[in-house]
Order: sequence, then structure tokens, then C-alpha cells
Amino acid sequence: EDHKLSTSELEEKYGTSINKGLSSARAAEILARDGPNSLTPPKATPEIVKFLKQMVGGFSILLWIGAVFSWISFAIQLAQGAESPFDNLYLGVVLALVVILTGIFAYYQEAKSTNIMASFSKMIPQQALVIRDAEKKELPADQLVVGDIVEIKGGDRIPADIRLISTQGCKVDNSSLTGESEPQSRSCDFTHENPLETRNIAFYSTTCVEGTATGMVINTGDRTVIGRIASLASGVGNEKTPIAIEIEHFVYLVAGVAISIGVLFFIISVSMRYKILDSIIFLIGIIVANVPEGLLATVTVSLSLTAKRMAKKNCLVKNLEAVETLGSTSIICSDKTGTLTQNRMTVAHLWFDNQIYSADTSEDQTTQPFDQSSPSWTALSKIVTLCNRAEFRPGQENLPIMKRVVVGDASETALLKFAEVILGDVMNIRARNKKVAEIPFNSTNKFQLSIHETDDPNDKRFLLVMKGAPERILEKCSTIMINGKEEPLDSEKAAAFQTAYMELGGMGERVLGFCHLYLPENEFPDTYPFDTDSMNFPTSNLCFVGLLSMIDPPRSTVPDAVSKCRSAGIKVIMVTGDHPITAKAIAKSVGIISATSETVEDIAKRLNIPVEQVNRREATAAVVNGMELKDMSLQQLDEILCNHSEIVFARTSPQQKLIIVEGCQRQGAVVAVTGDGVNDSPALKKADIGIAMGIAGSDAAKNAADMVLLDDNFASIVTGVEEGRLIFDNLKKTIAYTLTKNIAELCPFLIYIIASIPMPIGTITILFIDLGTDVIPSVALAYEKAESDIMNRRPRNKRKDRLVNEQLAVYSYLQIGIMQSVGAFVTYFTVYAEQGFLPSTLLGVRVDWENNAINDFEDSYGQEWTKYQRMYLQWTGYTAFFVSITIQQVADLIIRKTRRNSIFQQGLFRNKVIWVGIFSQIGIALILTYGLGHVTALNFMPLRFQYWFVAVPFAILIWVYDEVRKLFIRRYPGSWWDKNMYY
Amino acid sequence: GLILLFYFIFYMFLVGMFAFCMYVMLLTLSPYTPTYRDRVSPPGVMIRPYLNGFTIAFNVSQPSTWQPYVDSMHHFLAAYDDKVQEEKNIECISGQYFIQGGNESEEKKACQFKRSLLQNCSGIEDPTFGYSKGQPPWVSCFFQIIGYRPGAGVPVSVDCKVQKGNESDLRSVDFYPGNGTFDLMYYPYYGKITHVNYTSPLVAMHFTDVKKNYLVPIQCSLNGKGIINDLNSDRFLGRIIFTLSIGK
Repeated sequence: EDHKLSTSELEEKYGTSINKGLSSARAAEILARDGPNSLTPPKATPEIVKFLKQMVGGFSILLWIGAVFSWISFAIQLAQGAESPFDNLYLGVVLALVVILTGIFAYYQEAKSTNIMASFSKMIPQQALVIRDAEKKELPADQLVVGDIVEIKGGDRIPADIRLISTQGCKVDNSSLTGESEPQSRSCDFTHENPLETRNIAFYSTTCVEGTATGMVINTGDRTVIGRIASLASGVGNEKTPIAIEIEHFVYLVAGVAISIGVLFFIISVSMRYKILDSIIFLIGIIVANVPEGLLATVTVSLSLTAKRMAKKNCLVKNLEAVETLGSTSIICSDKTGTLTQNRMTVAHLWFDNQIYSADTSEDQTTQPFDQSSPSWTALSKIVTLCNRAEFRPGQENLPIMKRVVVGDASETALLKFAEVILGDVMNIRARNKKVAEIPFNSTNKFQLSIHETDDPNDKRFLLVMKGAPERILEKCSTIMINGKEEPLDSEKAAAFQTAYMELGGMGERVLGFCHLYLPENEFPDTYPFDTDSMNFPTSNLCFVGLLSMIDPPRSTVPDAVSKCRSAGIKVIMVTGDHPITAKAIAKSVGIISATSETVEDIAKRLNIPVEQVNRREATAAVVNGMELKDMSLQQLDEILCNHSEIVFARTSPQQKLIIVEGCQRQGAVVAVTGDGVNDSPALKKADIGIAMGIAGSDAAKNAADMVLLDDNFASIVTGVEEGRLIFDNLKKTIAYTLTKNIAELCPFLIYIIASIPMPIGTITILFIDLGTDVIPSVALAYEKAESDIMNRRPRNKRKDRLVNEQLAVYSYLQIGIMQSVGAFVTYFTVYAEQGFLPSTLLGVRVDWENNAINDFEDSYGQEWTKYQRMYLQWTGYTAFFVSITIQQVADLIIRKTRRNSIFQQGLFRNKVIWVGIFSQIGIALILTYGLGHVTALNFMPLRFQYWFVAVPFAILIWVYDEVRKLFIRRYPGSWWDKNMYY
Repeated sequence: GLILLFYFIFYMFLVGMFAFCMYVMLLTLSPYTPTYRDRVSPPGVMIRPYLNGFTIAFNVSQPSTWQPYVDSMHHFLAAYDDKVQEEKNIECISGQYFIQGGNESEEKKACQFKRSLLQNCSGIEDPTFGYSKGQPPWVSCFFQIIGYRPGAGVPVSVDCKVQKGNESDLRSVDFYPGNGTFDLMYYPYYGKITHVNYTSPLVAMHFTDVKKNYLVPIQCSLNGKGIINDLNSDRFLGRIIFTLSIGK
């Protein structure tokens, strides 16, 4: 409301004085009442809650249950006075340790990635120039209170919402609020009912581009407009990431299998008259065998490896799971300014001598290729150089021209750089053509004029140069320069001008007209007193020289990136606050609207029929104006999103961006949204993956986003997508690899229960596989290269293409897993047989075997064994089983490198990390077997060397079988085999 | 349908592969001697009669408390009856290993170990073996390990003492035969296929004067070269520990 009040009313309302400001005491009072002038950061989850969440998430619950059961059976055995109850105590402790350690690990990983962001979003404390106690003071901006009088100059960030009281040529950049990068002028006048539109208010977090202003603080902290938007953003709930859903699905699946097999065999063992206590211990074993303890940690590591890789490619990922989300993205809603474009005006076209020339708009131009021989160009270049107030900041001589910082508005900057590239040292040219008078640009006369001496010592004339809106410039001209000669401006030439003007305007470019006049020497001698107020010089009948048009050109990498998105089945939607024509032109030039497709309006124009008669289905492209969008129902929006493959939303407001995102999500799409302004943060939050701009982005946007593009470049998103898809594939491989051996760990329990053989593998041994030998290899799969061009397939369907699908589980569990079990059992039986227990003897011996009192147990040869000798043999069996699984997991690791291609196509040695994995696997197994073979609690025994090779034929079988599987999949796509065997 | 068929064939193949591997593996084994004997040696010790557990308690005055031991003893020693031994086994030269060369698959001869060698503990003169007098005997044997030659030329002997406690609780123990040694001629053992009638040599320990009405923990251990009898983790390796409690 404050924008409507007069200055004195304001003084009264806030108890302040424009000249003296608040008193320090009063300010302190208000500060105590309102709190500091800063945005409250979004509420963070307490660390302890995060930590506990890691402790109970995923498989942890199952393992806790296992641990508790172990302790219960320990307590029961202790009470019964059994011989070795401590085994179960240890097992429980080990299980609890596993949960706690993996929990700590996951917590640490998360904390690390959050920290990266925390350091990123830290702001440099801002200072503000305040009048208090009738003195000007520098104060930290967060000390500002309502009623303070602050002074602002060009380049400052506005420290709070401010009602302006006096201004001099003040312009603000509201892009962080509205997304429009066009500077808006600010004055003390009340111009609009809506406080957001009126000119006499400057908003917190926007920047003052030029001029100075004095104003009164009317809102601070969270009560500012920005603060309200930021709190709107925190109101939008965070969606669960697709990978989180996938992992949850996978956890449920595996937990379901574990529990059902566990319970089934619990019932079986009870009905087979095993003791309840024993049955519980079996249950624990089955659960431990079924749960891939190390997997969730592996997934975290793989994701963070990818995140690191992405950071190198300028995608900083805040939330690890967002890595994969990017890969499943099916729609990208991209900003225009800065993301698709270079975010700086650049001269794109020139028109002189009745001809349009194109200029180079790439990022690092050093020369301009168009024809510069015409004398008209010489004249035009002189106007461009002289009729320009922009200047390079000093001390940048060594920088490339395009990187130098310029003081001046966007158009003038563009012209200055353009001139500098072609002519070199503009400042020197200006110095030689001394400026004698100048009228700066203003919105009423819409032109800029200056009068110069010429650098030709023989020419004593003054040169009047002028630039401005083309139609206004043309009005002032009576002649036009063609090939360096002034020719009368007849209607034919005026028509040519109109055509050129329309054409350039139609490309969405900002067009400026240029004209000049040499003032006759006799009328305007050296000493002539030019007066810009009375305009004592001619401003009509000038000579028209040419047009220059400027645009914020697309980044050179963007068209390629857009076409990559297209072949990857990702729809790119442009959402911008810009004018529809400009938006469409940029969309066309980057390929968001492809060269052949037409909008409804284009078709109408081509067929010369009213827009209403066009069949909307024929149009593949659509440019939707924010005003149209306002009146649309949700169904209409859905229809547009559904029916058009190429969509541009122009002149949209922040709220509409949110609506568009929601519309896309209603189509079942995974939506990535880019944004930089504070106003974008609700949409960023709502999106499946919010992408903030690292350079231009505001802190609020970075806070709301899941990812930050360090170079603001759309093309980086595409590399991110590629990485995201790759990690999804690789996680699939990791999981398949990990799940396989679970069967080889589970089968021993089942056969132990059913056939009553001595226990083939111990629970602790299983944990050594899951958390020892298998960990590095499964991480190594994250380094696997893509099998084919993953950017040529459609994004995965959230509902259909699961991370762990039926084929993956079945193939791992029922085929490779069973093969591994068979291989391991062969080793197991071999070890027992060579020690005197033939397979036939082993069946059904469990009860006697485990009886502590039987110390003269007879083997197949008539030798007698003490209980402890049997235990040693049993542990040797554990070790043999363990070694066999490890050896076969090496084969499993190699086959998991690819899902479709032959290993030889993929290259056995391309991924070096796999080999690190294999060596680590074997190394750890060697250490456990021979190094720790004497620590009885671990149940490892030194193993005869030849037992390492018993399972090798099975490892080879696994490899060969999988090669055959892949061969058939490649040979017969779509066949029964393909459907059942491809995971 | 097809999928079931596929799995049927797949598993049949795996079963076949498993069977083949087991078959090949079994082919490499000798039916007479296990490939490795490192886990089963050195030998463990067992005592008879063994009914349930190693805490033995009975009252002399109540025959029902010790009768099961007597029965068990008779049952166990039946194989050592002098007649049976004379019929099946041959007499060997004492003091040296009875090494039988020749083909591995040939049937091996076994040496006589007559029950009468156990004298007072043989149950021939006193069918109650002395239980009725409160002088229970125990017979110990150590484990059969194929090819094992205990003591490396010097016969292995048995001795018993009180394990943790007053030495005087176990005043005297008589050993039969001889000084409680296992004669070398009974070794080596050739496995149950060829050494059909092999009877493990025994040493009987006669506890003639054990403190009555008192729990007496006793450890009997083997002594000899290559015998391990002090492993903490295995209480049956080279020794045996049991508790006697004889009431009046």
C-alpha cells in the first residue's frame, strides 16, 4: 500500500524523517520487534533425525530383527546352560554393527553432499548506506529496519523493499524477481495500482543497474516480496525422486523374498521337528543370506561417483538421487535467457545499401566476416562508434573483447563490442572525434544524439550522429545513403526500409536505426555553442545510413544439445518471460521449434485462413502467450502439452511456470525445470528435478533446486542426462551382480534344513562376502561405459521400466544364482569327500554331527572324529564354499559388464576399475583364508590351494551361458528369449 | 509353458553337470584311504561305558543306578571276547607295528585283543566289573585313523589324574593291560573296507579308591610322541575329562 502514500504520509507512518532518518535507539527497537532483515533459511531436518533415518531405512529393519532374534536365542541358550551360547551373541553384535556402520556411511555420504551445497549458498554479507541520526552510515544489510532511509547507486543490490523518494536515472534489474532481464526504470511516481508494477518501489534482492536513488525501507526480511515467494517455495512439497522409488521397490522386493522364504522354512523346520530355537537361527541365516547388506552403500557410492563426474562437467548435484532423476527426465522446461542464450545482446544483423548482412553471434568472435568495403559501412560504423555512451572498464586490455566488462546498457554494450571487434580501439576513435554535445536516450524522444568534431584535420565540419527507434529515425531523414552516396529517400526506398525492418523485427531482434548529418561549416563554425536544451541544430532532413539489429543469441552448443534431447526422446519446452516473437525466434534458432514445423498461426498465415479454422492437430509447434495461458482451463493446457511436440511459453509469470510444470507431471512425465530467479523457486521445487543456474542464479533458486549448472549452459544438462541414464543402467548391473550370490548364500541353508547335511556356509562368512569381497566389484560397475548410444532411446517409463524388474530378479536368482550354488556345492562335497566324508555319508547326519557329546563320529572310512575336529572340517567347508562363490562372482562380474552386447564388443579391459574389483575380490579372499584363517571367531580355515579351482568350470560355464544369452538377444530381438532373458 | 520347459531343461542340465562333477570327483578318491587325513589327526580319546554325558554318578548300594553301565560294558566288550578274537584275528608280535604290505585292496589281518587282557576290568571274574564294590573301571580307546602310527615307535600310554582339585581324591588307579599302554602291533589301521575285523586296542582304568560322595573331576590323557593333549578348544583331543561321583 505504501506506494500510494505521499512522502509525508510515509514519514508519519513509519515515524521517520527523510533527511535525518531514524534514531539509532528507535532503529534498535524496531530491529528487536521485527528481527533482522534476512530471509529465514528453510527449516533443516535435525542431524540426529537424519542419522536415525539411515539406521532404520532400507534393509536395516530386517537386520535389526535378525540381531534381536540372535540375542533372544542367546538369552534362551544361556538360561538353558547350553555349551556355546556366545556364537549367537556375536552374530547379533555383528549384525547390529553392520547396520550401524552402513548407516554411518550413508549418513556421512549425505552430509558430505549437503556440505558442498551449504558452502555454495553462503552469501557474502551485504552492506547498505543508511541515514541514521542524520548521518550516513555503512551498515550490514541485515540490520536494516522499516523506516530506514537508504541510498542506492548503480551496481548495488537492493537491501530491502524500498519506497523510492528521490531518483536520478535509476534503473533496476528485476530478473531475480520476474525473470525479465530488461532493466526497468524507477522513479518516485506512483504509476500502477499493483505494488509489483508500480515504479516507485524497488524490491529486495534485485539490483540497481544504473543511476542513484534514495528510498525508505517499507518491508524487511521475510515480509519482503521475495521473502513471501521464498516461503511459497518451501510450501511446495518435495517429490520423491524416481531412483528413491526404484530403490524402495527393490528393497520391498528383496525383503519380501527374504521374509517369505524365511517364514516358509521356519514352518518347514518346525514341522520337521527342529527345535524352535534352531528354527529361529535358521530364520536369521536365511534373512542374512537374502539381504544384500552392502548394496545400499554401493548404490550411494555409485551415485556420488557419478555426481562427482557430473560436477566436472559443470553439473553440481545437491541431492545424490537427482543424478538418476536427470536420466529419466522426459520433459525439460528451460528458461531462455542465459540458459539457451548467452545472456547478452549481440549485433546479429545489419542493413545498409539495401541489403541485409548477418553478423557472427558466437561466444568468442574475433572478426566479422560480412562485406565491409562499402563506404556506407564506414559511415555506419562511425555512428555506431560515436553515438554510444558505453565504455569498457579500464584495465581489461588483455581480456578478449567479449569478456570485458562494460559500463552501459545492454544495447550500447553490444554496439560497443561490435565496433571494437571490427574497428579496434573505439576509445581512441572517440578521443579523436571529440564530442561537443550530446542528448542521451530517453523514452519520450526515443533517440540518442551526439555532435562530434571529425578526425579529418581538413574537414572542419561537425558531425551529427543519431540512433534510435528506426521509424523515428526515418521520420527525421530526407536522404538515404546507398554505396556511400546520399540519395533522396523516395517511397520505393522507404518501402525497402520497411521490409528490412519487418524482417529483422520478425526474427525477434531489437532493431536500431542510424543516421548522420555533416553540419555545414559556415553555419556551425568551430566556436558554435551547441545547446542540447534548446536544440539549436538541425534534427531533421538527416541522412539515413542503416539499421542494426541485436538479439541475445543462442549459445553455440545449444542447438546440438537440443537435437540430442530430441533423439533421446526428451521434449524441450521453453518457458520465458520474453516477448513471443523473440521467444519463437530463439526457439527456432536452437531447434526447440524445428525448421519444418509450424504453429497454428503459421498455418493460418500460409493458408490465408483465420486462426480458428486451422486444424490444431496439424500444428506440431505452439507458442503460448502468458495471457492466453491465464484464461486456459487445466484440460486445455493438458491438450496443448499433449498435442504439440514443440512448445514455447512466452510472457509467462512465475506462477504460470508452476502450472506448466504441474501440467507436464500430470502427463506422467519426469520434469526437469531450469531457473535462476527467486520467482522460479516454487517451480524448481515442484519439478522432479530443479536445475538452478550457477552464475546467474539467485540463492533462493539454488536452494530450491536439486542441481546447479555451474556454467548456466543448457548443453550441460544434456551431458547430465547422459550420465543419469548411464548410472541407471549401471545400477541395474550392480544390483544384478549383488543379487546373484544371494542365492548361492541361501541354498546352503535350505539344503542344510532339508537334507540335514553339515552346515555349508556360516552367517558370518556370508557377511564377509556381502560386505567384503563383493563391495569394490559392485562399485566398479559404476565405471562401466554405456553399451550403446544411450541418448538414442526414449527416456524410461517411470511405471514400466523398473530398476529391478522381474527378468533381472529371475535371471539372477534362478539361473546364474543356481549355477553358482551348484558350483559351490561341488567344492563343498569335494572338501568333505577328500577328508573322508563321502556325499552319501553326509546326508542326514546333522543331528549327530552337531552333537557335542559325540566325539567318536565315524566317517566313510571308519576313522573317528571328535566334535572339534568336525567343527574344523565344517569351517574348512565354509571357507571352500566362500572361495567358490568368490571365484564365480568374478565370472558374474565380467558377465554383468554388459546386458546386451558381447563382452568382447564392450572390451574386457576398457573399464580398468573392474580389474581393480576382481583383484580386490581375490585379494580379500586370500587374506581372509590364509591371513585370518586362525581367528576362530571368523570361521575361516586355511584352504588347500586346489580347492580354489574346483568352481572354475562353473565360472566358465556362467560366462559362456551369458554370452549365449546375449547372442540370442541380439540375434532375435523381440523373441520369447529376448522378452524373458533381457533385464 | 515354454518357460517351465526351459527351466526344466536348464535344471536338468545343471543336475547333470553336478552329477558329472561329483562322479569325476569320486573317481579320484581311493575307496581305502581318504585323500587327506590332516583334519582327523592327532587322535581323540573316548571312554566306555558312555551313556549320557561325562558326569557319572551312582550309588554302590543301589544296583539300579549302576546296572546300565555294567550292561553297556558287557555289550561293548562282546566284540573282544577271547573266543571271537581267536576265531577272527591272528596273534601278532608285540612291540612293533603290524605293517601289511601288498595290494591296497587286499583284505588286511587284524591282531587279537582279548578281553581277558583287561583282567580285573574284563568282567569275566566279576560280572559287575567292580561297580558293586565302588571300584568302577573305565575303558578308553583312542581313535582310529587310517595309516596312523601312534607314538613313533614307542607305545602310547594313558595316565589319569584329578583335573583341578585335590590329588588325593583319586587315590589309586590300576591300568590294564600292562602299564596302560597301547601296543604298537595294533597299528596302523587300514580302514573299514579292508581291515574288516579290526578291533581297537583298549586300556582299562580301574579306579579302585575314589573319594566317595564327592564330585571328582578326572582327566585321562594320552602320552606319547605326536599326541596333543592340551588343546583348550578341544577337550577330546588326546585326553578325556569326566566327573565321577560315587555314593555309598
